[in-house]
Amino acid sequence: MNQPTGFGLLSGVVFLPIVGALLVALIPKAQVAAIRYAALIASVATFGLSVVLLHGFSSSTFHFQWVEFVPWIARAGIHYRVGVDGFSIWLVLLTTFLSFISVWFSFYIKDRVKEYMLFMLALETAMLGVFVSLDMIVFYTFFEFSLIPMYFLIAIWGGNRRAYASLKFFLFTFAGSIFMLLGMIVLFVLNWRLTGTPSFSILDIQSAVASGKLWAGSPHLEPWVFWAFAVAFLVKCPAFPFHTWLPDAHVEAPTAGSVILAGVLLKMGTYGFLRFCLPLFPDTLPSQVPILMLLAVIGIIYGAVVAAVQPDLKKLVAYSSVAHMGFVMLGIFSLNHAGILGGSFQQLSHGVSTGALFLLVGLIYERRHTREFKDFGGLKAQMPIFAAIFLIIMLSSAGLPGTNGFVGEFLALLGAAETCFNRLYGLDPAFVVIAGGGVILAAVYLLYMFQQVFYGPNTNPDNKRLKDLKPWEVVMAGSLVVLVFWGGLFPNTFIGPMEASATATRLMATLPAGQRPVWSDPSQEVSAAGNQSQLVSLGDGRLGAGAIIATTDVHVVWQEEHPPEEVVNHLGAR
Amino acid sequence: MKGQFDAIMWTLWLPLIGSLVQALFGKWVIGRLGTASGRRVMGFLAVLPVFAAFGVGVWATAKLASIEPDARVATVTLFDWIRIQGLRVPMEFRVDTLSLTMVLIVTGVGALIHLYATGYMGEERDYPRFFTYMNLFIVLMLVLVLAGNLAVMFIGWEGVGLCSYLLIGFWYRDLSNARAANKAFIVNRIGDWGMTLGMFLLVVLTVGNWDKLSLQSDRLLSFDTIFANMHSIFGGHPVMTTAIALLLFVGACGKSAQFPLYFWLPDAMAGPTPVSALIHAATMVTAGVFMVNRMHVVFEYSPVASAVMAAIGAFTAFFAALIAFGQTDIKRVLAYSTVSQLGFMFVACGAGVYWAGIFHVTTHAFFKALLFLGAGAVIYAMAHEQDMRSYGRLWKYLPITAATMFVAYLAISGVPGLSGYYSKEAILGGALAGEHATIGTVELGVYSGWLALFVAMLTAWYMTRLTWLTFFGKTERWRSLPAPEEQDHSEAHETHGHEEHGPDEHGFFYSAEEMAAREAEEGHEEHHGLDGSHAPREAPPSMTIPLIILAACSVGAGFYLEQGDKFKTWLYPSDLPVLEHVREHPNVLFRFLGFAVNLPALSIFAAACGIFCGVLIYSRGLPRREGWNLAGWGRFRRAARRQFGYDDALMSAAVDGGREVGQAIWLNFDAGIIDGAVNGIARLFGLLGSGLRRAQTGLVRSYALLMLIGGVALIGWMAYALWRFGGGQ
Repeated sequence: MNQPTGFGLLSGVVFLPIVGALLVALIPKAQVAAIRYAALIASVATFGLSVVLLHGFSSSTFHFQWVEFVPWIARAGIHYRVGVDGFSIWLVLLTTFLSFISVWFSFYIKDRVKEYMLFMLALETAMLGVFVSLDMIVFYTFFEFSLIPMYFLIAIWGGNRRAYASLKFFLFTFAGSIFMLLGMIVLFVLNWRLTGTPSFSILDIQSAVASGKLWAGSPHLEPWVFWAFAVAFLVKCPAFPFHTWLPDAHVEAPTAGSVILAGVLLKMGTYGFLRFCLPLFPDTLPSQVPILMLLAVIGIIYGAVVAAVQPDLKKLVAYSSVAHMGFVMLGIFSLNHAGILGGSFQQLSHGVSTGALFLLVGLIYERRHTREFKDFGGLKAQMPIFAAIFLIIMLSSAGLPGTNGFVGEFLALLGAAETCFNRLYGLDPAFVVIAGGGVILAAVYLLYMFQQVFYGPNTNPDNKRLKDLKPWEVVMAGSLVVLVFWGGLFPNTFIGPMEASATATRLMATLPAGQRPVWSDPSQEVSAAGNQSQLVSLGDGRLGAGAIIATTDVHVVWQEEHPPEEVVNHLGAR
Repeated sequence: MKGQFDAIMWTLWLPLIGSLVQALFGKWVIGRLGTASGRRVMGFLAVLPVFAAFGVGVWATAKLASIEPDARVATVTLFDWIRIQGLRVPMEFRVDTLSLTMVLIVTGVGALIHLYATGYMGEERDYPRFFTYMNLFIVLMLVLVLAGNLAVMFIGWEGVGLCSYLLIGFWYRDLSNARAANKAFIVNRIGDWGMTLGMFLLVVLTVGNWDKLSLQSDRLLSFDTIFANMHSIFGGHPVMTTAIALLLFVGACGKSAQFPLYFWLPDAMAGPTPVSALIHAATMVTAGVFMVNRMHVVFEYSPVASAVMAAIGAFTAFFAALIAFGQTDIKRVLAYSTVSQLGFMFVACGAGVYWAGIFHVTTHAFFKALLFLGAGAVIYAMAHEQDMRSYGRLWKYLPITAATMFVAYLAISGVPGLSGYYSKEAILGGALAGEHATIGTVELGVYSGWLALFVAMLTAWYMTRLTWLTFFGKTERWRSLPAPEEQDHSEAHETHGHEEHGPDEHGFFYSAEEMAAREAEEGHEEHHGLDGSHAPREAPPSMTIPLIILAACSVGAGFYLEQGDKFKTWLYPSDLPVLEHVREHPNVLFRFLGFAVNLPALSIFAAACGIFCGVLIYSRGLPRREGWNLAGWGRFRRAARRQFGYDDALMSAAVDGGREVGQAIWLNFDAGIIDGAVNGIARLFGLLGSGLRRAQTGLVRSYALLMLIGGVALIGWMAYALWRFGGGQ
């Protein structure tokens, strides 16, 4: 794994936007059209390259693929190391796709187009970097670097309270990630003490964790370091009570900024959970899970209740993000197969449907320069195509079966139900019963939104003059509608490549030391041939004791290969 | 076996294609061919696929009937929908007697209602949009009934809720319709919450009993897996089984409008009348009964849940019947009657006579669709007036409507020989004889049966009220309507101020000329109101033909299906797996003056009683105590009109209370505590750093600058390090 490979296709995907930005920078300021098309071409090309990545991606392994290793600062153990696994490949595609859509939409930007496009493309590189980094310092750098273009997008092209909003956005996430940096350094030091070689590589750290040696010497540190990471990701997610930066940032951000913010930036938080919090802290995880599940459930209900009373389209969608990301967390911290896959799928579908909602809000905002419900009403007759697209996206956000929103929520809640009804980690069935109520509340605020904008008499003379969407806008929004149905009817397209990573991550988090899969050992596979199964008891003393289900002992069957038909198979680790 | 029933998928594809054709080409065709002939073409294209689907359904039924009774199950699998390790949810469809029965009802009654709607909606500007939704509804309803597992059923389950939402809000310019639509969807969502939790619990229970399963399949939600393993899944876990059954029943309560979730259905009458007939009477609202039949093994294992179901069914039947007495809107009376009849069906399911529930679904589909379509014909004839107080003696003007509706009235009242009598008899018999629905020693099922018998009397009574107020009596009351209240004309005189608009560089807006053209195209809608000189006219054949066909079914279906237990053995050819042979016919209920009183005698007596009371009161026209002046109404009737305060209390608690809670949380907690803390900390740092700060406004910029410098420095340092140590291992 430590053989230098040089830069390859993955780096190409990551850095193509910034190369595009450099080209844009060469174009004179006045040639607005040239700038726009150059940026668009750069983002389309990036998307195209990322599709090539997907094409060469193998679903059968949990190991990182398209790995590139360029030695860098050997003395500090910092190297340029990137790669993608089942989780990150889809986040890379989500990023390149939404960036392309955002750049396209940004043709509506008129002020300082050049700077705007520079920031957009720089932001894309930063986000891609986060999802592919396998070195903690490189990860941290991209993680922080992504703040800067976003900050300027809000602060320069934002609304009236942009100064406050951008600062709040910056300080919240920056404050959170400082802790993460500390956590990384602790991991680095512990690993150095253990192995004698300095390394910031996630793979090396995980291998030390999997053997149980990393935390063996200082078990009291593990919860602290866990929370140092978790706080950074909770802020980013954002989870209750760290969410208040989100509505402000969304309301003030320009449309494309909101799309990126909701569609991609929030996923850095949940991706962080999957990449750091699950694999690296298996001993402390069981005792922290109830807290995180509680935050998830509160977020689901809280976000939905507050969304329902918002007077402004964007604020409503922003608070709905808090609720939806709660489902992602709920799934991930169920620590079982259905839950982790559900959470990972939900983060993709939230990216598509909430991104699309912000896009649609942007389309109407460009026309009417208002987002307040009181200025709308009766648009269904006025803009039937817009109404139809809005309806489909809204339903996907509400989790209607047949759309992508359903699959994620269903699997995440199913996973949570498995954990909660079995009372694992001291959780209670009430968690999933209440979280399920979030689906009802989602219908409440989304239907309210649709009613306020599209139903009722069309009395505002400004609205009466509105034309329906233009063809290119229909194509842009329609591409998201296609994804909504694709994800809803053929979710295996997305779930399939994630399964090996989900299984491995789950096992890293739940198996005892020594049996955990290791990323840096290419000989390991979680899907080897044969029906090898292992009996494992999880780290919680309360297991089984209070289980509703009268199983005598709770055990994990580590099932290999997908059974052809009617073969013994469990729902995965509990 | 494999592939024999693959063609059943055409029942789905045909209406789906129809729906897409309406959505994509409807406007174009109507624009191209002109309004009248365009609508005729699109109407034909809307009705055709549903009739064709009915044909496919008949073919499949005939084919299934030719197979051995115990082998009448086939599965059609399209592809794997959700597949993860340990759980596979294929897109699979189950062809069996239950699903095909529902297919015939949905497509058969659906086709007639589509035909009716081509006439009823003839004046509608959004003609293709209406049929887009209607065809889509047929598709999703068929997904619901044909589904081979609970998750696929859930697609249809929520999908029909969506179509219902869209069609209730069809006339969306009126915000009250939109609110009714929201209410329907949200209340249904409460039911869906129960249903999904029930599904999850079922999965958990199945996985927990994995070692005991006789058919170990990862298709955990598929009906065949559940049925094959029912003893090992439900056998030893009475509490869990009851929990699953009750959660599923919550779902059924939402969809089938049972107490406490019934209150969306009356408001759903805001939709066009064919929608009320198809979705909110004949098909969608019976989905709960269907689902209980589909999952009947769970309920068989849980007498407690069955008892709760029977009790709630009986109470809903009673409660809704009482409310019906206080309604003057003809569609609302029918809506409450639907709620009440659905209650009967759940009494049957609770008692363990599941087939009787579906039997009543079938007969009810005929006579209730007929009643709604008849009511639609009346409303059509009476210039969209729905208040029965302005009807009277309409049989003179609407002979076909009156005759067919009279048949339906007799059927729902339980007059012997008509379909409703047979299905009601099966329900009451099962409930009164049954021993299944008990909690401890309390025989809730039997009590429910008695209550239902009483409600049968009430049903005959309020239906007599409806029939007499509408069609009979001596006065034509619309000729002497009380003066309408002062109407608010402020909206009509809305000012069309020509404001100055900025340049429209993106072409977002219509120009003034285009606006004028649009207004001319829209034309002026003449709204002809009901007045004294109004002359009601019978509806066109497209509307009366469905009425006549449905009337024939309302007469004959019950008798035909009852013969030799035909319907029962079709649905349940062998004994139930757990209850085995539930008692269905109580012999002698009690002795009265030495005579043995049996059920038929008693229920005929109940129907006669109800009809007699009704005729006695309403044969002379509209009683003063139910007239236009609400102050003259009796206390009971006024309370019944307001649903005894239930809906108001619930809605104000949920809507106003919810809004207040949301506002309070948002303003106090979000903006107050969290942001307050954040801003406070920021201010603290601001005070500390005020010496460094040049100006208040420069704060943001200097932070940003600092960050930028920091970021650049970090990257610069890394680049330097890369160059300095580059490649050095």
